[in-house]
Amino acid sequence: MTVHRVTFNHRAEPVTVKSGTLITEAAKLAGIDIHQPCGGQGRCGRCIVQVTEGKVRLRSSLRLSAEDLSLGYCLACQAVIEGDISVLIPEQERIERRLVTDRTAVEVEPPPTYAPNQQTLKRYFLTLEPPDYEDQTDDLSRLLTQLRVDLGFEEVEIPITLLKKIGTVLREGNWRVTIFLDVVPCRNGVPHVRMVEIFPEHCEDDSPIWGAAIDIGTTTVTLWLVDLWTGVIHAQVAEYNAQIRRGEDVISRIIYADKDGGLQELQELVVGTINQLVEVACKRVKHYEVKPNDILKVTVAANTTMMHLFLGVPPSYIRLAPFIPTFSQAPILRAQEIGLKINPHAIVDCLPGVASYVGADITAGVLSAGMDDTDKLTLFLDVGTNGEMVLGSKEWLVTCACSAGPAFEGAGVRDGMRATDGAIEEVWINSETYEPDYRVIGGGKPRGICGSGLISLLAEMFMTGVIDKAGNLNANLPTPRIREGEHGMEYVVAWGSETQHGRDIVVTRVDIDNLLRAKAAIYAGFLVLAQSVGVPLEETEQVLIGGSFGKYLNIEKSIQIGLLPDLPWEKFHFLGNTAVKGAYYALLTHESRERIREIAAKMTYIELSADNAFYEAFMSAMFLPHTEILRFPSVMEAIRSLRTPQ
Amino acid sequence: MPVEIPKEKWPGSVLTVTLGALPSEGGTRKRVVTVGGETTLPFLHFEGEIPNPPVVAIEIKDRKPDDWSPLLLEAWKDVIDDPAQWAAAAEAAGADLIVLALSLTNRNGEPTTPEEAVANVKAVLGATGLPLIVLGPGQAEVDNTLLVAVSEATKGERLALGICEDKNYRTIVATAMANGHLVIARTPMDVNLAKQLNILISDMGLPLNCILMDPTTGALGYGIEYGYSVMERLRLAALQGDKMTQLPMIVTPGFEAWKAKESKVGEGVPKAWGDWLSRAINWETLTALTLIEAGADIVVLRHPESVKRVKAAIEELMAAKTLVS
Amino acid sequence: MALTGIQIYKLLPQTNCKECGFPTCLAFAMKLAAKQVELSACPYVSEEAKAQLEESAAPPIRLITLKSNGYEVKAGNEVVMFRHEKTFYNKPGLFVKLQSSALEEEVKSLAKRIHDYCVNYVGIELQVDGFAVEDDTHQPDKLKATLAAIRSVSNKPVMIFSDYPENLGPALEQLDNEVPLIGCATSDNWEKFADLAKRFKAALAVKADQIETLAELTEKIKGKGVEDLVLVPMGKNLGHELMLQTQLRRLALKANYRPVGYPTLAFCSSQAQMVQAIAKYAGFLVLDAFAEDLLYPLLVLRQNIYTDPQKPIQVQPGLYEINNPQPTDPVLVTTNFSITYFSVANEVESSGYPAHLLVTDAEGMSVLTAWAAGKFDAERIAKAVRAANLEEKITRKRLVLPGAVAVLSGEVEAELPGWEVRVGPREAVDIPKFYKQVLQVN
Repeated sequence: MTVHRVTFNHRAEPVTVKSGTLITEAAKLAGIDIHQPCGGQGRCGRCIVQVTEGKVRLRSSLRLSAEDLSLGYCLACQAVIEGDISVLIPEQERIERRLVTDRTAVEVEPPPTYAPNQQTLKRYFLTLEPPDYEDQTDDLSRLLTQLRVDLGFEEVEIPITLLKKIGTVLREGNWRVTIFLDVVPCRNGVPHVRMVEIFPEHCEDDSPIWGAAIDIGTTTVTLWLVDLWTGVIHAQVAEYNAQIRRGEDVISRIIYADKDGGLQELQELVVGTINQLVEVACKRVKHYEVKPNDILKVTVAANTTMMHLFLGVPPSYIRLAPFIPTFSQAPILRAQEIGLKINPHAIVDCLPGVASYVGADITAGVLSAGMDDTDKLTLFLDVGTNGEMVLGSKEWLVTCACSAGPAFEGAGVRDGMRATDGAIEEVWINSETYEPDYRVIGGGKPRGICGSGLISLLAEMFMTGVIDKAGNLNANLPTPRIREGEHGMEYVVAWGSETQHGRDIVVTRVDIDNLLRAKAAIYAGFLVLAQSVGVPLEETEQVLIGGSFGKYLNIEKSIQIGLLPDLPWEKFHFLGNTAVKGAYYALLTHESRERIREIAAKMTYIELSADNAFYEAFMSAMFLPHTEILRFPSVMEAIRSLRTPQ
Repeated sequence: MPVEIPKEKWPGSVLTVTLGALPSEGGTRKRVVTVGGETTLPFLHFEGEIPNPPVVAIEIKDRKPDDWSPLLLEAWKDVIDDPAQWAAAAEAAGADLIVLALSLTNRNGEPTTPEEAVANVKAVLGATGLPLIVLGPGQAEVDNTLLVAVSEATKGERLALGICEDKNYRTIVATAMANGHLVIARTPMDVNLAKQLNILISDMGLPLNCILMDPTTGALGYGIEYGYSVMERLRLAALQGDKMTQLPMIVTPGFEAWKAKESKVGEGVPKAWGDWLSRAINWETLTALTLIEAGADIVVLRHPESVKRVKAAIEELMAAKTLVS
Repeated sequence: MALTGIQIYKLLPQTNCKECGFPTCLAFAMKLAAKQVELSACPYVSEEAKAQLEESAAPPIRLITLKSNGYEVKAGNEVVMFRHEKTFYNKPGLFVKLQSSALEEEVKSLAKRIHDYCVNYVGIELQVDGFAVEDDTHQPDKLKATLAAIRSVSNKPVMIFSDYPENLGPALEQLDNEVPLIGCATSDNWEKFADLAKRFKAALAVKADQIETLAELTEKIKGKGVEDLVLVPMGKNLGHELMLQTQLRRLALKANYRPVGYPTLAFCSSQAQMVQAIAKYAGFLVLDAFAEDLLYPLLVLRQNIYTDPQKPIQVQPGLYEINNPQPTDPVLVTTNFSITYFSVANEVESSGYPAHLLVTDAEGMSVLTAWAAGKFDAERIAKAVRAANLEEKITRKRLVLPGAVAVLSGEVEAELPGWEVRVGPREAVDIPKFYKQVLQVN
């Protein structure tokens, strides 16, 4: 019998094992407990180790990149010892960064070419000749003349509220003022100039000018506070849209808006949410003291219904066939007109949408994903309460929206929550004991499960046989975690003793159905979109994903449940909230803002309710991973290798 | 002028399923019935094989049914109180197969017990040499209890047990596997749901050639077009090589047609509907014939006259085989 | 070959000018691909593109229209082998056979009955399309008299069949401005029939028991300038008829073989022949006899098979009784989307609880979608309650709404005074529990 010596973490004492032993087994002998949430099946990838000396035979290298393999990284539960080796066990933190299927949203930075002169919101210092008995010109004319002489602006739009204070400001500053203008280039060469603020005296010329990019989602509102001068984002905040208490989805909101006082209430609720976020964001900023009143410009991305409600425009016709919104592009507004508690004269620029169910959040998303500027056939997906998607490249763009429900935002699921502290964001289930293991955002005790956690949970339940392909829980499995609950069968992810609130965290049969419907709607949308232009889905060259998953999404598990098409993992890019990012770019440069306008103009909207194709595709996708298993070869392979012991 | 006839070369074919077991095979049947095996669309003998003609099953109940059309009660009036006699009469009427549908309650209005179900199944098996399909009353828990008892008491007979549905299939599949029976998988008029249930059942380890699928149909005038197209699509998928659709199809035009108002009601209906009895039989016959054109392998009927007409049509459709060979 | 949306898009100007009535060129291209719009709607399309696009559009099966004073029966223009692939467009015309040997009075009374036959199916009036006169006496006068007898009671289109083309003249002369179908032309008499068809502007049926013969005949007749043809494949039995019909349709659609690119006609005597002709590709049926109890189901079958399958799958709105409900049992409301209906009906059925299931006409949408689109509201529910005559049928007036539209309960109460409106579960699976806990039924 051949034996080999295995050294762990440069320890002095190697252990001796028979040829054919797994590294995990050897580690156990050495008294080292390697974490194996999946039960040693090579699925979770948490047992990555590095073999620094000697060679091992790998049963599976599924979750490692070629580069990592060349550096000797392997999954301890899949590595067979066939000679003397030295093994290094990395810290958990470093492991997670090595997994090729995990996608973390990239940090956003200003475009490298960004310079303050690209900003349309400009700050000028003016010095006016004071009036006297000879020069009897009024204050406003005096100011406008100076603007024409110094800057060449023939016409400047001034809100009445600014007019009211000009007299005082001019005198307070002793005819020296700082003035903020939004100068938007126009096609006829004459810029459109709007006065935003005027202060006495000349202020410091490198102090930040504050602006905000906002995405109003049906479920979540996100706001980034930005220094327009440098383009740096100083705070990123998000909160549930307070309208939720008046209905979870856009349709409920539209119907609520039709009731007496409903529209006004919804408008106040969402504006209230934004005002709160502004306060929080201002407090989060380090090194500067920022007040809401300092914010001079905002750009807003939102789905079409949310945009209507935000502006207090009745959204009634959005839901009635043939689904026509009142506007796609709102006029430029001032904050005070809609009750935003920032600078009352601040410019509010609502970005343009395409159709009733494809709004400015998508046009902004397409911009930030760079989809309008690529030769690659690209699939862009924004997962929110609706799943909106766009297929195309710089040549053409088609888009559709399917009602996925808020499950992936953690809403509408019994123990669902937003991707914040206390949310379970990844789950592994041991395929022999059916015991779960999970990772919690922030590292503390869990309170619930967020979207990426639910995806991961569904995939694990499916791969381990806790549920069948139709989502039925298998009551015959020997585990107390599968039990009869209030709404039929359920699976306990965390016992009350492990949770923050002391209650069990479970996923119910109804939750599973909701998740299945959500993922089926999205996949069906992909298929119909591809069919509508006659392009096979498999020809997609890159998949860009935005949406409310938080900072993290596991591509492999998303494919396992049939949410994403079965393409090579490197084709997927997880971009986080693309809508607010698009709003952020539009906040910075006029060029980006123009591109969004062009995107909105050229995107072709496919109405899914018009025929049966979507329904067919949806029914076919209401299965794990899909009724047509051939569409998911990698999942088929993974199931096969799980069911047949190696 | 020579014309080249386009012929389809299908990569797939329908599985062959045999119902019933002879004494030599561990059962007691005098005859077995094999369905399926088609390598082309229904009756297109010029381009493929139709090795087994569609067969006609007659549906009987374990007791006099409460809700059947008076026309049917009249047709079976001499045997309707005795499932064994009824089965024999059905065989005499030309049935290739018997479908015994168990009732929720016995003739005294008490819940049917497993013992009663077993006794009735045994009586029917004793009265006919034809293969047998046994259906539960259609409530998950009762179905499971009765069918498990029947399955165990008739081990080796290759009965077909039904109905398996997506929310209730495990128990029936498990007992069929343990006792050498087949199952019927029913889904509500949807290609995807049909495939999904077949996948779920075969995931449990039951070989596909032990499953009959019932894609459900509506009667003529009550959604037959949906069932019709679902069946055509399933058959096309099977021929194109999709394994999970390659099961023979069983449909219940008798049940569907006889619950239609056209069959149930004789008075106070428009004159344009014509004579009640002929209209009712036409309703069942036309429903069945339409589904046979769509690829049905087993049609379950109720009236002896419809059985006669449908069998005659099948014979004529199969006769064309000799014209091309 | 049919072009995809993207392929067509590449031939268009790509300026998104919106003048065609669509927001983008791609949207227009997709409508073109689906044949839902004419290319001429684009004012800027190039000649070259026009040529390329029009080539892929000619119908593979010629449209034949039989006409009489006030009536039209169309056949042809079909584009698929299976209805689910798109739809079957022109319902096959049902013609009842009348023989010239029959007594004039008999012809009149039968023709009158046939003409007047009308049956209502889901609000649609179904009727026989016309008459097929058979010259079984081989006497031109009798033929003429029979036709005159028919015309004295009905103006519906006619077909005239004789083995002797020369017999048809007198009969045809009385038809004013009509397009009848005449025939059947065979290898022996096709020239005379072709002349006759040309002279009277009639459509011509061409009969043979082999496809080759049919193709030869149509080419020859076309050479004579007659193009409105109908094929009559004469199968030796039911299976053979199916084979011929299938092969003809395939040749026309798949091989684009023009000599058989015409609709077909089937002479039917058995029920099986009639069913098969409707399901499998006949453009016209000639029925041997007239019987109400058979015509009704046949007309319904034709209606069903020729329904557009692209429309959402619906069940018939109305009242469905499950598990023998009594007047004291609850009324459950849902929509007529098939899956919605099935999940509710199955759940109730297998629960064993009795229910009056009221299916409202929500244009085939599920509960939430219909509610979203304004097709499932208090007004429509109340209307359905009245239409089903529930005020009289139900003694204990309890109406259960789907949980997903709980918001409607107040409005429904206002619409239906005297009814107790309950909000049911959101999911069908919870219906048994709802019965037990809320309705307190055991």
